[in-house]
Amino acid sequence: MSATDKKQAEGFSYRQVSAFSHLLVFAPLFIVFLLFGRYAIAGAILAAGILAARLAGKPQRRKSDRPLVVFSIVGGLLILFIVLPILNLLFTTDPARIAAMARDSSVRSALFLTLGAAAASTFISLLFGIPLAYVLAREQFAGKAAVEGIVDMPVVIPHTIAGIALLFIFGRAGIVGAPLNASFHVVLSDSFWGIVLAMVFVGMPFVVNHSRDGFLKVDPRMENVARSLGAGFLGAFFRVTIPLTWRALLSGAIMTWARAISEFGSVAVIAYYPRTINTLLFEWYNFFGYTYTKPLAALLLLVALAIFVTLRAIPRLTKAEHDQT
Amino acid sequence: MIRLEHVSRRWPEFSITDVTLEVTEGQYLAIVGPTGAGKTLLLELLLGVHNPDRGRIFVGGKDVTVLPPEKRGIGMVYQDYLVFPHLNVEQNLAFGLRYQRGSRESASQKVSETARLLGIDHLMHRYQYTLSGGEKQRVAIGRALVTEPRVLLLDEPLSALDRSTARRLRTELKSLHASKKLTVVHVTHDLSEARQMGDSIALMNDGELNFLGAAADLLRRPPTLFAAKFIGAVNVYRARFEGEDSERQVVAGPIKAQPAMAKASGGNTGMVHLIVHPDEVCLLPGETAAGPNLLRGEVTRVADEGNYVEVLIRIEDLPEPLTVYISRQSARAQMPKLGASVTADVGNAVHVLCE
Repeated sequence: MSATDKKQAEGFSYRQVSAFSHLLVFAPLFIVFLLFGRYAIAGAILAAGILAARLAGKPQRRKSDRPLVVFSIVGGLLILFIVLPILNLLFTTDPARIAAMARDSSVRSALFLTLGAAAASTFISLLFGIPLAYVLAREQFAGKAAVEGIVDMPVVIPHTIAGIALLFIFGRAGIVGAPLNASFHVVLSDSFWGIVLAMVFVGMPFVVNHSRDGFLKVDPRMENVARSLGAGFLGAFFRVTIPLTWRALLSGAIMTWARAISEFGSVAVIAYYPRTINTLLFEWYNFFGYTYTKPLAALLLLVALAIFVTLRAIPRLTKAEHDQT
Repeated sequence: MIRLEHVSRRWPEFSITDVTLEVTEGQYLAIVGPTGAGKTLLLELLLGVHNPDRGRIFVGGKDVTVLPPEKRGIGMVYQDYLVFPHLNVEQNLAFGLRYQRGSRESASQKVSETARLLGIDHLMHRYQYTLSGGEKQRVAIGRALVTEPRVLLLDEPLSALDRSTARRLRTELKSLHASKKLTVVHVTHDLSEARQMGDSIALMNDGELNFLGAAADLLRRPPTLFAAKFIGAVNVYRARFEGEDSERQVVAGPIKAQPAMAKASGGNTGMVHLIVHPDEVCLLPGETAAGPNLLRGEVTRVADEGNYVEVLIRIEDLPEPLTVYISRQSARAQMPKLGASVTADVGNAVHVLCE
């Protein structure tokens, strides 16, 4: 067998296994909806599964593929674990009640507050995060690893703890909060800006890490050339580096925004009021139980999914070949 | 035009040590050296991307040691082109003009003139991913030339191109240099490219300048053992000093030479080598009368190398055989035979190398 033949044969078997995996991922979903009595959805999933398998090729089992079949089943269960609650919440909630929820004034104000605070926190994260990311991408210095560790710290610190820690700094009696209150009558806790602070804390790592990875992909010599042409540091940064990294910056910003929207723990500690959408959901759940809260949860889920789809779509839709390979 | 005075810079893993060199206006200097010799870093010191720890850099008589790249008036072209991928060819060429005084009309005129000069005027609206290597390099060169820099730095500009494109671009670069009266510093690892392009050659090794001067001098009188190896010198023999004062000679087996240079006569502590230029040795058939640097030996190898014939001669008291190149014409007249005894007239084809 020549080298090319072998390569083709490998490609062929890969296609077969992936076709089989398609069915394995779709099969548990199909069974679940069948059990739920949602025959239409089950049928749609079956159709989608068959179509996917058809597109990928005719399933063909071989002995050597068996471990992969097991892997596919195990992996399919994990996918099911994520997809099932989401689909269940969306499909078992009355759309009319979700729509009614969207018209509720307290829901609306909480939603807009959340989106607005998240946007403000994203802006602040970009403003401070991009310079930090650039330094991390371009410079070598003692303690750099420590700084990078600090950037990732908000991801591992439990968020309620982050909220409490922030409160000691920015709360009414905090190190920064007290003088702000005394001099300017600015109170950060239980305010819009308190929410923003908490969101910056938890969302900042995404902007910094995405931007840094983006900057690392731009050859510093490209900036050298720009500078030799007279651009200066900032000229090179804004006319070469930023245009070549905007996609990374954007995806970092969207991740930060999404993280900020979903943040509850630290926000609830530092600023329970005004209520963000998560705080509202938590309160309703505590007072009225989960049946009452379900339409609101479904609404929020839709919002989050819309953001998620945008996040995934923008870089793909705008993928042009002339943007650095 | 460019003057480096004792420029040094240490990095954690590499350093440039005490480089002093001068490039006069309109000169084409080729810096040559093996990979990792610090050639690119030296260019980047000149460009101003790095600052030296010690020493001064002058461009056009002005001290630019601490000036940033944008204030030096130096154009840079890298081996891998680095055409801005988010801009088309025209925008690439016009990039530097925003920072110069002049009307928009004169700017676009400059761009189209440069594009025509480099033969890329039909590519103006293309992006780099649709260009060939040669086209990209022309864009990179044009982009630097548009701003009319005082000095053009070329970092291995031809190394990533295929042979025929590289050869064409060599000629174009030379004629650009002549027509625009540019001062050029061209870095390459290829000695033949450096010989062809450079008015003079600088040889770098391990962050230090080994040689600065004419290519012929480097080939005839390599200053260091490294330089001798880099130019591919054959016939390098360990030697020693003999005799006193005016009688002093450098001797390697039967080969003797006068230590012409003051440095050579100064001391005999360092290493001394004799280098015999293989193309300057005369080959005489049979055994002739004895005389200075007339070496008798036996032919051990004859190899046709295309443009010349290489003959190896084993000589008594010489640790390694002497290599002699003879022209095809003389080989046709009398081809040396294996095992034949011959006399090699080394004469003055000897270079004394003291370190």
